[in-house]
Amino acid sequence: MDRAGIPIYLVRWAGAQVLTALGRIGGMAILLSVTARWVYKAIFTPKARFDVEGLTVQMVRVGVKSVGVVALVQIFIGVILALQMTPPLEPFGQEGMVSNIIGVAGFRMLGPIITAVVLSGFAGASIAAELGTMVVSEEIEAMEAIALNPIRYLVVPRILATFVMTILLTIVADWMIAVGGWVTSRLVLGPESYVGYWVRMREQLRYRDFVTGLIQAGVFGILISLIACHEGLKVTGGAEGVGRATTKTVVYSIVAIVIAACICTMIFYAFEL
Amino acid sequence: MVETQEQPVRTATPVISVVDLVKRFDSKTVLDGVTLDVFPGETMVIMGGSGCGKSTLLRHMIGSMQPNEGSVRLFGEDLVVLSEDQLNAVRKRFGILFQSGALFNSMTVGENVALPLNEHTDLDEATIDIMVRIKLELVGLREAVDLMPAEISGGMKKRAGLARAIALDPEILFYDEPSAGLDPVTSAEIDQLIMDLTGKLGVTSVVVTHEMDSAFRIADRMGMLDKGRMLKIAPRAEFEAIRDGEATGDEMTDLIRQFLRGDSEGPITDRRRETGYEEDILEMAGGP
Amino acid sequence: MNQDSHSSPVQSERWVGRATVVEVAGDIDLHRSSQFQQSLLDVVDRNPERIVVDLGGVGYMDSSGVASLVKLLSRTRKTGVGLRLVGLTRRVQSVFEITRLNTVFEICQTEEEALA
Repeated sequence: MDRAGIPIYLVRWAGAQVLTALGRIGGMAILLSVTARWVYKAIFTPKARFDVEGLTVQMVRVGVKSVGVVALVQIFIGVILALQMTPPLEPFGQEGMVSNIIGVAGFRMLGPIITAVVLSGFAGASIAAELGTMVVSEEIEAMEAIALNPIRYLVVPRILATFVMTILLTIVADWMIAVGGWVTSRLVLGPESYVGYWVRMREQLRYRDFVTGLIQAGVFGILISLIACHEGLKVTGGAEGVGRATTKTVVYSIVAIVIAACICTMIFYAFEL
Repeated sequence: MVETQEQPVRTATPVISVVDLVKRFDSKTVLDGVTLDVFPGETMVIMGGSGCGKSTLLRHMIGSMQPNEGSVRLFGEDLVVLSEDQLNAVRKRFGILFQSGALFNSMTVGENVALPLNEHTDLDEATIDIMVRIKLELVGLREAVDLMPAEISGGMKKRAGLARAIALDPEILFYDEPSAGLDPVTSAEIDQLIMDLTGKLGVTSVVVTHEMDSAFRIADRMGMLDKGRMLKIAPRAEFEAIRDGEATGDEMTDLIRQFLRGDSEGPITDRRRETGYEEDILEMAGGP
Repeated sequence: MNQDSHSSPVQSERWVGRATVVEVAGDIDLHRSSQFQQSLLDVVDRNPERIVVDLGGVGYMDSSGVASLVKLLSRTRKTGVGLRLVGLTRRVQSVFEITRLNTVFEICQTEEEALA
């Protein structure tokens, strides 16, 4: 015990946590910079061609397979928003404003964030498990041994695919939230809400609402795939390690998504976007 | 010319040269000053028990691990200081068979073998197809060309891994525990392949194993690794003499002898007993 | 022994009656196989009755070189041209043996035998 009365092990523990976190962030930063270099090379040098086939496979795996779940979840988000937001508006006779609220909340935040959370469970976990299994079965080492760079052949297509598909899925998600809200108004709430629902939403929304949402979606997509690749590639200790990596991927992704969303919102707010 | 290199010539320049290699993980020293030369056309077998550092040594020789001290030279190039591009140029000149075969599970056997050819040569598809068939025939796996790795047995995976390792006609082949997990017949088949590749094509082989039958079958020279130190490097005959001879009383020789014979009594087991069991257990009981 | 990788391994071609004897020299590896292959297929286009490939000057041939010869064999079989290999050095002979292609190709000891 030191004089301040803080047990030394607590300080040590906190210090160790900070160090691991910094180490992890550093590792991901390196991974991201190497990935960026390969993408740059693929675009600007004729020799290092893009693996279009690999990219397509990954886009299908990330996007097409999760589109159903994303749509389903987002419809329910729309339903929830409509049901929760209408009662507080009633005393003011502004039930119709629910469509404006759903529009802003959905397009700016809930569309991208919920899509990203679903994808971190869907794509993130499966990428981490896949790469982790490849580490365990010596496939990554084998790739290096035959002079193929694992970052170029495995990480680059996964990050690009997740980046693109998070954005595309968010577009779907935005509309699903709006549809969920509309269906609820129609079936449960009443004509004050649904008459002119789409017109009001259209009047409320600016392009920047839509675009800032998609920018965030892109950031989330990179974060999810980066975390998944990083955790997957540093798996040790067999099948158990693969399990740990998938759990970590999902947890870290969700934390990272929320923090990134907060930072993005602050920036958009500061620049009045 | 290459013609004259039927028998390994000691005066030749080594193709692999490991000098004073030290590797530590945290505070644990896994390789403690290992020095080893491998000459063109010979088969060098590195033996040792679990955790002796032989896999770590292999990983340094293929450039997938960086040592704390010392150097690893392949074809005269120091792997430690090479850039990634230079290292990749060296990697195209050797092949490695991993313990599990390490096939890419998302590709067929044929695609696995074709991958290095597709990525690193300008050959047309038809030529690559022929080469894939030739490599698979060599390992006796031509009928498996369109199968997925999940559909074939462990022994077949290993043979397919070997076919991929020799895709670019390497000058050196590394084998990590080639007979681990195989039945005796399959294991002997793999050994025969190793010998054919060395004998007929002049490939230099480095084999890491703890299977003594296999080691004595294929080795020209052998090295015994223990606790990160290279105890002895000698021609196979010398190790055979130790194995078949009587205990000498010399600790190192007896240790090697116990390992080669797989005896349950000897210096290796004695060492395990000298770990202060008595003090340890008395301390648990509240000190002496 | 490392020839310019752009020069063709095919040193000369000469007609002996209706047969063409192709003399090959140097190492045939991944870098020179494409050229080797092209030169050989060009010979087929000149419509000889038989092609004799003299590998006497080849010290080293890897599997891409063998694959090139397989391609030539397949072409000659289609067009009904005979193909014989001659003058294999021990090392090249080993490559054919280990790949079991010595049973697929007609391998002769001497040029006279190949032309007979």
